[in-house]
Amino acid sequence: MIRMENVTKVYKGEVLALQNASCEVQRGEFVFLVGPSGSGKSTFMRLLNKEEKPDRGRVFVAGRDIGKLPSWKVPFLRRNIGCVFQDFKLLPNKTVVQNVAFALEVIGSPRSVIKSKVPAILELVGLSKKMHNYPDELSGGEQQRVSIARAFVNRPLILLADEPTGNLDPNTSLGIMTLLDRINRTGTTVVMATHDRSIVDKMRRRVVELDRGQIVRDQSRGVYE
Amino acid sequence: MSLKLDYVLRETASNFRRNITLTLATIITVTISLTLLGAALLFGDAVDNATVRWKDGVEFIVFTDPEISPELEADIRRQLEDSPEVSGFTYIDKDEAYAEVQDLLGDSPELVEVITPERLPASFRVKPTDTLPERVDELAAAFRAQPGVARVVTASETIRAIEDLSSGLRQRVIIIAIVLLVAAAVLILNTIRMALFSRRRDIEVMKLVGATNWFIRVPFMFEGLVQGLIGGVIAIPLIWLTNNFFSVINDDVTLELLRGFTVDPSRVWTLGFQMVGLGAIVGTVGSGIAVTRFLDT
Repeated sequence: MIRMENVTKVYKGEVLALQNASCEVQRGEFVFLVGPSGSGKSTFMRLLNKEEKPDRGRVFVAGRDIGKLPSWKVPFLRRNIGCVFQDFKLLPNKTVVQNVAFALEVIGSPRSVIKSKVPAILELVGLSKKMHNYPDELSGGEQQRVSIARAFVNRPLILLADEPTGNLDPNTSLGIMTLLDRINRTGTTVVMATHDRSIVDKMRRRVVELDRGQIVRDQSRGVYE
Repeated sequence: MSLKLDYVLRETASNFRRNITLTLATIITVTISLTLLGAALLFGDAVDNATVRWKDGVEFIVFTDPEISPELEADIRRQLEDSPEVSGFTYIDKDEAYAEVQDLLGDSPELVEVITPERLPASFRVKPTDTLPERVDELAAAFRAQPGVARVVTASETIRAIEDLSSGLRQRVIIIAIVLLVAAAVLILNTIRMALFSRRRDIEVMKLVGATNWFIRVPFMFEGLVQGLIGGVIAIPLIWLTNNFFSVINDDVTLELLRGFTVDPSRVWTLGFQMVGLGAIVGTVGSGIAVTRFLDT
């Protein structure tokens, strides 16, 4: 599903974010990306949806070299990749249901599809009762559930989660992890960057560790350290 | 991919509500810029109209001998009618002469001096086909040699002075109009960019979930179009007011030179609609350019 071949990314000619990194992720896998801040986790993710371009090496998503993708096709790549962030990135002036529906509207989904899909996904993440609330009326965990609903409503092949539990307390984090695990079980490949040791140790999934831009460990059913 | 009209309308309506101050700022900017530009263009038109009237009025004047016989006068008239170099002429009889000539050339002492009230000659005010000063002089000289002609006065000096003045004015007005247009475009671009900056999060999310660049751009461009249209429509009455101000200039007797400094009302309307169109174009294109900065290409 994802393949990186000898990828190097240097910011502004001096900051080495990734150095000759190679990695392959199969369809349906759940992968933790761990490592200290600045080790290249976010760059790894940003390369996958072409927010960044590698300086050397190639990136394949779903069997296609995305370096060869013309820029007008990038939006179509991104429709296959859901993104979840530490800071949720919800639109504050839209309700929960509008935030999720927005993701479908902007890719041109018919209204009938939006009407059936949005309540279903909100049911899945457990927010059916707060559909018409605004993000600032929700707890952090609930906001992250909305953000996951938005990322997943389009049934992407891949879900990228950049420290999705970074702002949440341990209990809420567990709830989010349960949700991501459930999404993974539907066949969606999940890549999650995290600093949360207890979660990684508890889930026992594949762990890829980065250190100063290099992949220093790749372990199935691994732990944080 | 289909862009849905209801989506575009809904987004535009909500953006108007949410960014009401910036929307107003954009509309006011568009209105002021278009009003100034429209006024500048109207001013140019008015200058044209004022000087055209002057050019029409005087080229050279053939003054007949006060004791001229009717036959000789008819002879001069026939020559004027037959000459291919004369496009038209007006006969001013003795009674009309003094008042008429003084009204027309009140600012030109060299002519007024020639035509004293004691001597009221009849005259032919001639419009040659070729208005080049040298040609006018040549033609005037031909009539000067005619029997029964007392004097031929060319108004070339006066005409030249007026033409210099008007072409200078016109040039300045065109320069001002261009500067205003550029300023308007930059202001609109900047205002739209500020509005977009306040909504960069929306754009970020749209990119994230895979909206195409055009899908992101179109609601913003539609918003710019509506703002440009509103700004242009408000500018119409303001341009109309400017035209009324011209008639104030007209009534000011000290500005004798600019008599006829006015513009046809239909021209004001045409210009108004042109300004609305320009506002729509600048608003749409400005938004399109401004939003591109926030899209990755």
